[in-house]
This record gives sequence, structure tokens and C-alpha cells, in this order.
Amino acid sequence: MVLALLYPLGYMVYGSFRDWDPSQSLSESTFVGLKNYITLWNDPNFHESTLVTLKFALSVVTVEMLIGVGLALLLDRKLRGMSVLRTLFILPMMIAPVVVGLIWRYMYHPTLGVFNRGIKGVGLEPVDWLGQHALLSVIIADIWQWTPFIFILSLAALQSLPRSALEAARIDGATGWQQIIHIKLPLMMPVLIVTCLLRLIDAFKVLEVILVMTEGGPGLSTEIMALRISRTATEFRELGVAAAMSNYLLIMLLILTVLMLVYNRYMEYRASRAMRVAQEN
Amino acid sequence: MATDTQQSQHPGFYAIVVMLIIMAIGPIAIMLINSFKLDVDIISGTSGLLFMPTIQNYETALCDILPYELDHLDFCALKFGGAFINSLIIALVSTVLTLIIGCMAAYALVRFRFMGRDTASATTLMVRMVPPAVLLVPVFGLWNNEFCIDKASWLGSWIRDSFGGRGDVCLAGTHSGIILIYIAMNLPFVIWILQSFIVQVPRQLEEAARMDGAGPFQIFFKVVLPLIKPGLAAAAIFTFRIAWNEYLLASALSDRDTKTVPILIVNNMSEFNVEWGVIMATGMLLAIPPIIFTLFASRQIITGMTAGAVKG
Amino acid sequence: MLNLSKTLRCLTVATAMVASVAIADPYEEYAGTTLIVNFPAHPHYDAVRKILPEFTRETGIEVEVDQLPYLKMRERQTLELGQDEGDYDLIAYVVFSKADYVYADQLENLARYFMNPKLSDPSYDADDLIDGYVYNIGFAGGTKGYLEGKTGSLFGIPYGSETSILGYRKDIFEKHGLEVPENYDQLLDIACKIPELEPGMGGLSSRAASGHHASHAFLLHLAPLGGRVFDDSWNPIVNNEAGVQAANALKTIVDCGPEGSASFGFGEALGSFLAGDTAMFLDTTVVAGQIDDPAKSKVVGKVGWAMHPMGTRRGSQTGGFGIGIPKNAENKDAAFLLMQWLTSKKGDKLVALAGGNPSRFSTHEDAEVNARFPHMATFGEALKHADPDWRPIIPVWGKINADLGTTLSKVLTEDLDIQEALDGVAERTKAVMEEAGYYTWSN
Repeated sequence: MVLALLYPLGYMVYGSFRDWDPSQSLSESTFVGLKNYITLWNDPNFHESTLVTLKFALSVVTVEMLIGVGLALLLDRKLRGMSVLRTLFILPMMIAPVVVGLIWRYMYHPTLGVFNRGIKGVGLEPVDWLGQHALLSVIIADIWQWTPFIFILSLAALQSLPRSALEAARIDGATGWQQIIHIKLPLMMPVLIVTCLLRLIDAFKVLEVILVMTEGGPGLSTEIMALRISRTATEFRELGVAAAMSNYLLIMLLILTVLMLVYNRYMEYRASRAMRVAQEN
Repeated sequence: MATDTQQSQHPGFYAIVVMLIIMAIGPIAIMLINSFKLDVDIISGTSGLLFMPTIQNYETALCDILPYELDHLDFCALKFGGAFINSLIIALVSTVLTLIIGCMAAYALVRFRFMGRDTASATTLMVRMVPPAVLLVPVFGLWNNEFCIDKASWLGSWIRDSFGGRGDVCLAGTHSGIILIYIAMNLPFVIWILQSFIVQVPRQLEEAARMDGAGPFQIFFKVVLPLIKPGLAAAAIFTFRIAWNEYLLASALSDRDTKTVPILIVNNMSEFNVEWGVIMATGMLLAIPPIIFTLFASRQIITGMTAGAVKG
Repeated sequence: MLNLSKTLRCLTVATAMVASVAIADPYEEYAGTTLIVNFPAHPHYDAVRKILPEFTRETGIEVEVDQLPYLKMRERQTLELGQDEGDYDLIAYVVFSKADYVYADQLENLARYFMNPKLSDPSYDADDLIDGYVYNIGFAGGTKGYLEGKTGSLFGIPYGSETSILGYRKDIFEKHGLEVPENYDQLLDIACKIPELEPGMGGLSSRAASGHHASHAFLLHLAPLGGRVFDDSWNPIVNNEAGVQAANALKTIVDCGPEGSASFGFGEALGSFLAGDTAMFLDTTVVAGQIDDPAKSKVVGKVGWAMHPMGTRRGSQTGGFGIGIPKNAENKDAAFLLMQWLTSKKGDKLVALAGGNPSRFSTHEDAEVNARFPHMATFGEALKHADPDWRPIIPVWGKINADLGTTLSKVLTEDLDIQEALDGVAERTKAVMEEAGYYTWSN
């Protein structure tokens, strides 16, 4: 563990202060201080890719949360074949991101893909999916792959809700919507928050799907930070800059994670207090 | 079950369910169908199901391990068979090792109150937080330059003499190099998930076994392990999945003999001709193991997934 | 296929006879060696793989090929060449890697091998190699560091070299009475007329995807339109009038091109031409083999070839690959023998017949090759106008290329103002050049 994770991270921090080429070992490289960080801070391309990363992560998580939770609420019934349904839903998550990218790249193909064939079939103008709408297309693919994750987690949360509360609400004559808004959602909240943040963290890690679909293009429109790091390291051969970029990304994620832990603690604390109050009554 | 059937279902509800199923597996089905088409059929635009299915794409992909010569190929460009074997070795070995280390560590952590569960879950989160892209630079540098044995040393020269190859003996380019990083990436998650199962093993059972004269290892293998099987299954699937599907680190660490399937697929989305049929076939072959797991062990997968969030 | 193997067999018999006459076999010492070579995934090298068994049969030297997409291949090579001892005995390198590798002292100077009487084949006839390609791909240290000049020497031999040529659909041009474009005005005019005449069909399919592709497409137009990336004292002039004109040409072509043009890489651009979705294709000569392959193409027999249209001058690209021997290779002498065999008159003809790109004048004029590939004559003509300076091959080019390609892609998809975009490129290029020390002597 130490050898394979902590040491590399330390090594990276050290490397980020150096002008480092892949053919050199780290000790052969020259020390350049904060230069890599400063260059990045002023680099418009880096800004753009940060922006793309944020746009991608936020929109993906928002849409996935809405659809995932919505579906969970809708499908939270005793259904024959529910387990089959769940199994089918996990499939997209289990297959390799590389394959997901591949499938979608084919489906978005300007002339061969099913989307444009369908659109032309009904007589509309074909859409330039991976050109002008690249970011949107990538977001759709991610939504396809990961909405089931949120769906399954929220479904599990829903099904572990205390039956008594729901029974009580039904007896009081609450309508379906009222039940959802006033009882189900608040009770699911802790799980939803964790799910949401897990997804958010994962959204910052997406790389292969985008690499296969667009390679970051056109322009920098889909070049999320993970992709930029790997391009900087392998294509531009600037390991020092890539290391500095990795550190920026890590700091961003660290802030997210800490927020998540703090929030989780707070919610647990509140929940346990509410529980105690409930028990006392 | 019968008591719930009074919830009469709206027909629109079924429509939604059917649509969801189509959306979930449609793309995979498209890949499956196309992998049986010749490129000419894929390009020609008749998107329907009317075509002559052929296994030629699979033959092209697997040309290096097929026992017979193929007529439609002049030489075997794709070494898919070799990559498939590499992927299998890497994924299986890293899964087995992670599980062995993981369950021992988890057991020790729980029984000897070594570290709290909080520490494990915090570490898991931390590791989950680190994107593979961030590991790329340091791992690349270390594996290529620092984790090496000088070929002039006795061990180094022994390895070079018996296994061949050139230069210093480095972790990069070997199966072990890739396996090591996968173990490190998965271990915290495995420990953490197994902890939650081990905690539920009643102490009395172990006490009873000890009374009967079982040693600590016997207790572990005969009593504890059978009880945490579902946890092991979940952990195994998740570890295998990551090791099987990962592209970035493998591509940085592997050389021409240790390429895994994802690398091969990305490489073959080549500039000069995108051979959709063959690529779909390779994609399908890569997707088959995870699909099998999903179909047979979806319960364990869901356990593993929900354990993350629902139990906190 | 049958034909090819028959030719191979004839040649084998012929060489066997020659070999039996010769007193000693220069290959004898190396028989049984296994060479590890690194080749790109590229139609020419696919053809090379077809003729490699012949080499092994003749010499007893085994060849193991590691074939990668060319950008990946470059990444792999950077890594391998940087080590003390590398895996590869012979590498094919992209022309713009020449500067990097030679500058980092990673390629063998070939003089030592051509001087060695045991290795060098007296009948090699180096003068038959196409001059432009040799200077562009194999030669380093001359004028500006990458052109022909008295101070340079040879580090590699062109193999799989190519120039640009215009492919057009004869049937479509005939149907609408269109003239094959001779200059850029006509080219752009026809490119935009075609979508009107043939609804659903694109004018000219060009690569345009972000990065190397967009940059390549732009440079393709820059040279004929009279532009350059740098002036003679390394000042970026990519944003002058010719540069803007070239970018405009690219934009027009993409706008009038087939659906999704803006995200096309080379594969997609060619795919669209092969599928019959586009009327013209202006890119490398290497595609000819695929256009006539009925398994891949729907336009077999419908394509005519013409010279790269003229702007203010003729200036088709020079590019492709060369082969060289890495400094850290294990079997350098045997690698040289393979290199010499492949680029010899015989090897060049074999690879041409297998569908590759010949790099010798004699192969372009060879009757058998011309009978099999009638377009070879046009290609030979195009070669005469190939411009070795259409792209600067300097060590920092990779960085500039990436920036140029990304910026142009933005022009194509986000409607960035062309002048402004190119000014930006020029400014950043200037900084890169400054840092690399190109202005040290200019004061």
C-alpha cells in the first residue's frame, strides 16, 4: 500500500517542482520551483479544461440524480421480475469504459450511427453529435452508464425506509406526492447525499469513455482534466507539469471529500439526535 | 407477494419499464449484432437485422491463437489472444492476491482492534478519490526508473539470463508491475467491505472452535471464511472488474508483451481504417466476462455497491 | 493475392539462383537472429508485413513486428529510445520525429553502415531514392536543421513516404460536367457546389479533428497558397495573409464537407470518401490501395486522380515514415541488413506490388507496377512538386503543432475569428521558440 500509493503521491508532489522529461529519472531533472504551478495557473487551456471538467461533472451528477431518484420512486413496488430488471440495469456499469466509449462512438457516427439514421429516417436534419455537440454527447453517454448506480442505491434506500412511517402517512391520507416530498425524500437524504458525492468524485475520474469517443476534441471542448493530465504526460512529455496538474485536481477532490465527510458526520449526528427524541416520545 | 398485487399497475408504467430495458441493453445489443456483420454490411446503411451473420470478425481478432490459418488474412495484425491471456493473468492474480491480503487484514483489524472502522472507511474514500490519471505520472516514473534492479547485480543478471529482455530489470513492462498497482488501488475497498461482514460473525462461534482446540489459522479458514463468502464474492467481482477494465495505467506500464485488451482496443481505433466489425468483436470479447458476472452474481454486486452508501 | 504470391515465388527462385552463384552469403552470420521492429498501423506497413516472410526465407533473420497507431508508436518510442538498452532493433518513425530523435542523439548515423563493406550492398543504388523524401525524412543537420544542405548527414531512409494528391469521383464530375480543379479557387468553388448538385453528398472530405489532424489539414493548404509557418529567421508568420487564406480554405472545405466533418480524423475522412459520401479527397497517396479494395470501398473504379491544386505555387506535402536504427538497439548490423533489403530496388518493388508506397524513381517507372496500379504515373508526377519545407521539422514542433491544431479546431467548431486565432498561435509560438533558443543569434 505504502509502496504503491503513498510513496507515488509523495514522489509526484516532489516531481511537480521539476522540469521533468519521461526519458529522465527524477533525480536527473532540474528543480524549477513553483514554475509548473504558475504556468498552469495562467494557462488558458488549463482554465478551459477545468471548466469543462466542472461542467461535465455537475451536469452529469445533476441529471443522473434526478433521473435515478425519479426512477427509484417510480419503480419502488413489488414487481415480479424486479431482480431481472436490476440485473439488466447494472450491465452498463460493469462493462469496460473503453467498450462504452466504443459503442457510443459508433452510435454517434455521423452517417453510420443509429441516432443519425433514426433522425434522417423521420426526415430531420442530422446532428453533428461528436462535433458541435461533443460535450453534450459525452454527457449523455455517461448518464447512460451511471444513472443505474444512483437508481440502485436510491432503491435500496427506499426499501430500507421504516414501514411504520409510511403506513402512518397513508393512514393519515397523504397523497403519493405528499408521501414522497414529506416523508420519503427527507428520510432518504443521508443516502442521497453520499451517493451524490460518490458520483461527483467518480465524475472527475472519467477518462476512457471520453478518450475513445472524442479524444478531448473538437478544440478542447471535451478535454476534462484527467485526459489533459494524461496527454500532457504522454503526448507533450512534460511530466512535471502533469504532476502539478494532478495536484490541482487532487486538491479539488480533497476539498470535495472533506466536505462530504463533514456533512455525513453532521447528518449522522442529527439523525441520532432525532432518533433519541423519537424514542423519548 | 400476493398481498401486493392489489397495487394495480398502470399500462404506461409497463411501457416505461420496457423502454428502460431497451435503453439499458440496446447499445450492448447493437454492439453484439455489429460484431457479426462484415464491414461492408455495417457501412452500407441497411441498419436492419437482415444480414448474413459471420464469425469472421472474431476469427480476425483471435487469429494468433486459432489453430487454423485464415483465408481472409495475409498476416495476423491483432494479437488479441495474447492480450486476452495477459488480461486474464493480471485480473485473476490481482484479484486473488487482493482478496488474500484483504481478508487477513480485515480480520486482523476487526479482531485485534488494530484500527477503527473509521480509519478503514476514510482510507477507502481517500483512495476512491484519487483518479487513475493522477497516479499516471508517479507510477510511470517510479515503475520505469526507481523500482528497478540493476542488471549488473546478481538478481538482475539472473532474471535477464533466465527470462531474456534487455536493460535494467524494472517493474514497468511486467505483469507484476501492473498487478501491484491494481492491488494497491483495490485493497482499501476490499478491507472495508470485508470488515463489515466479519463484524457480523458471532464471537461465540470462534470461541467454541477454540475450545475444540482449533488454532487461530484454523479458526480463520474453517469458521470465519465460510461465513463471509457473500462479502468475498462482492469484493472479488469489484476487484476483478477494475483490473479487467482499466486502461490508463496499464497502457503506461505495459510493453508489447504485456498489453491488455483495453489497450488493444484503443490502439486499434486506428487512424487509417476503423474496422468497426473487428473492433466490435474485440469489445464484445472484453465485455463478456463482466456480463457473465453480472448475470450470475447481480445480488453480490448490488450488495457491494449499496454497502458503500447505505451503510455509510 | 494469388498474383502477389506468384510474384513472390518467382522472385524467390530468382534470388535463390543469384545466391547460389555468389561466393559468400552476407546474411549468413546473422541467420537465426530475431529482430524486433516497431512499425505504425498504416497501409504501407501492412504491405510490408506481407513481404517480411520473404526476407526471412532469404536471409534466415526472423522479424517480430510491434505495430502501433502512429501517435502511440511515437509515445512508445520516446520511452524506449530514452533507455540505456532498448527493445527495438529497427523503428519506423513519423517524419516529424526526425528532429527529436536526432537532436537527442538516439538514432544511428548511417554512414558507418554504408561504409562497411561486409554490410553495404554495392548494387543498392542510393541515387535512385527519391531526393525530396531522402532530405525530408532521412537527412538532418542541413539548412535550418531539417532541409538539404552541406552540413547534414543521413540518419534514416524514407519508407512509406507519401505526398498529397487529389482524388475525385469521375462519375459525379462527369454527370454534372465539372472540370477537375486546377487551382484553389476552382477547388473551393466545386467543393461547395457539390452539396447543392448532389444533395447529401459532401464536397471534399478533409481531416479536421482537434490536434494533429486539424493542423495537418491547414498546412496542406498553407504551402500551395504561398504561406509558411516561419520566415527565414524563425519568426512565426503563420498569421499573415496566406495563413488566413489557408485557414479560410480549410473552413470552407469543412463547412461544405460531409456531415460531421469537423470531428473527422484521417480514418473518418477516408471512410466517408470510401463510403461514397464525398466527391473529393485531398490527402496522402497512401489511400490508393484501399480505394480499389472492394472489401473496404464502395467507389472502386470510380475515382480519378489529379495533382494537388495550385494556389500561388505547387506545393504538395511530403510526409510519411522513415526507418532508422536506434542507438540503443541490440542487433544493429542485422537491422541495417533488413533496412537495406526493404529499401533496395527489389524490396521497393515487392512492397509496391503488395500495395505500399514506393520510395524509388525506378519503382514509379516500373512497367509491372504501373500495369497493376495505373495511378502510379500521376503519383510520380506529383512527387516532382513535393515541398520539403511545407512543415518545419524542429524539436519543438510537437508543441506548436498541438497548439495550432487545437486552435484551428476551435475556429472550425466555435467560430473563433480566424485572424485573432492565428495571431494567438503566432504569439505562443514565438514564446516557445524564444524559450528553445531560436533567437539567440538574431540581434
